[in-house]
Amino acid sequence: MVRKKIIRALLVLTAFAIGIGYSFPLIYMVLTSLKPEEEVVPPVFVFTPTWENYRTVLNENFIGFIRNSVIVTGATMVISLVLGVLAAYVIVFGGMSRKKADNLFFWFVTTNLLPAVGVVLPIYLLLKNLQLLDQHLTLILLYCGANIPLVVWMVYSFMKEVPKEILEAAYIDGSSRMYAFWKVILPLIKTGIASSALLVFVFAWNEFFFAVSFTSVNAATVPVYMSSFMTQQGLFWAKMSAISTIAVLPPVILGWLSQKTFVRGMTMGAVKG
Amino acid sequence: MEGRIAKKDPIRWLALPGIVIVALVTQIPFIATVVLSFVRWIIIRPDQGIQFVGFQNFLHVFQTKDTYVVIGNTVVIMLASLVLCTVLGTCLAIMLNRDFPGVHIVRTLIILPFFVMDAVAGIIWKTLILNPSFGFNYYISHWLGVEPIDFFGSHAIITIIMLIVWQWTPFFFLIILAGFQGIPADIVESAKVDGANAWRRLISIELPSIRNHIQVAVMLGLIFILKVFGIIYVTTTGGPGVLSSNLPFYAYRVAFNGWNVGNSAVLSVISVAITLLLIIWLYRFMNRRTGEAD
Repeated sequence: MVRKKIIRALLVLTAFAIGIGYSFPLIYMVLTSLKPEEEVVPPVFVFTPTWENYRTVLNENFIGFIRNSVIVTGATMVISLVLGVLAAYVIVFGGMSRKKADNLFFWFVTTNLLPAVGVVLPIYLLLKNLQLLDQHLTLILLYCGANIPLVVWMVYSFMKEVPKEILEAAYIDGSSRMYAFWKVILPLIKTGIASSALLVFVFAWNEFFFAVSFTSVNAATVPVYMSSFMTQQGLFWAKMSAISTIAVLPPVILGWLSQKTFVRGMTMGAVKG
Repeated sequence: MEGRIAKKDPIRWLALPGIVIVALVTQIPFIATVVLSFVRWIIIRPDQGIQFVGFQNFLHVFQTKDTYVVIGNTVVIMLASLVLCTVLGTCLAIMLNRDFPGVHIVRTLIILPFFVMDAVAGIIWKTLILNPSFGFNYYISHWLGVEPIDFFGSHAIITIIMLIVWQWTPFFFLIILAGFQGIPADIVESAKVDGANAWRRLISIELPSIRNHIQVAVMLGLIFILKVFGIIYVTTTGGPGVLSSNLPFYAYRVAFNGWNVGNSAVLSVISVAITLLLIIWLYRFMNRRTGEAD
């Protein structure tokens, strides 16, 4: 019995070692962000932590990029959520034929899978001619186009599971569709909707391709700032780590919170088969 | 319900705004890309104007040596990443599909890199970890008594694959873990009663029952990894030369560095065509497999 316990303890330790090893670059990034700049190399793990880097990097400039990210991501989240939930509602409860509903759903999913490089050029040329480059609204519209399918994809699986009988009963009781949506459907799927919203936040916050192609100063988001950071700041690794930590904190927390819904949406085809 | 609601249910219009925005951002520009692939248009040479040239851009692209290097890279990155992500993700899922104190912490540690933006992942690996003069790379090589490896120079494509695997294994892990957790406990229990050991249970029961999950992970992973862009942009910028470029990145570079609209459009069309073929192929593959099982 004792031997078994020791083996088990060793296995648990190994699992922890693998987990820490896997996230090591991130852990090391956070540690580095708390070091004074002159102590970054050679790498040591015992040091007196300081918030100095965070105070330095949270300047007017970086906060401007964060503000852009918050505006663009927040607006994208709200608009994609409303339009995506409406579309999913129509697919599931819109009284379409099964085939039509499936086709519409499949269309949304495929648009989400196609590479952005297939559309970037004409959009760039159009925006340039209309002088709409580097605008918040432009990025919001593009991100909505990319994320509405994601919301449809995620919310669809939750709506599918709303028992039709409950809805029937509500209609027989004379409730309107609006009322049935708010009082019957929504309470059943609200966790799904909430975590879909968080996922949109994560993907919009992290989006790089459109951001780097269409924004430069006025509406540039955090990832664009990060990518320019390499050349600008060279070897100030502690400050770079502090900025990186701030940049990844929101998506990592929200992504972690919404992972269940994400997996559920992604594996929808798997459990069916 | 079908009877109660009129055939042309007006509620359908509610889906329209979403459809319009998605079409506006994805479908219509893609059609424009296809049109642009038949046009000769170099933005920095306005004197040459814009002219319809038929398939000349396609001919030019397919006569360029770089195109084949880039297509080769795209395939190599994709296959290598897929195999590694699937194997690693499955192993991690097997290891963490059990209860022990702190299993949720370990799972979280494995998942985190997936939610880290490309720009940060690239920068952290390029500087703190792999930099040959000041990164961990130097100290570990020093300790081992070997020359530090120049990861982003001579081994650029291997390094890119490594970073993609680091970012995407959590995705495979999450889906495959969900598969393991969905296996009904009584099936595993009855196998235990029948005397099947852990290895035997894994091979004969658990892995076959998560086949669909693995397929979904591979199919989606394939499509997502095919469009990798940010990691390449912030670490190697596709270099040296085009040795670590994939199709999306190369198309981007031809457009925004060379300003050659026609050629870039051709490369974009190739990217989308490959993705579409893969979607169709895998869709059929999955249907065939599930059909067999029935």
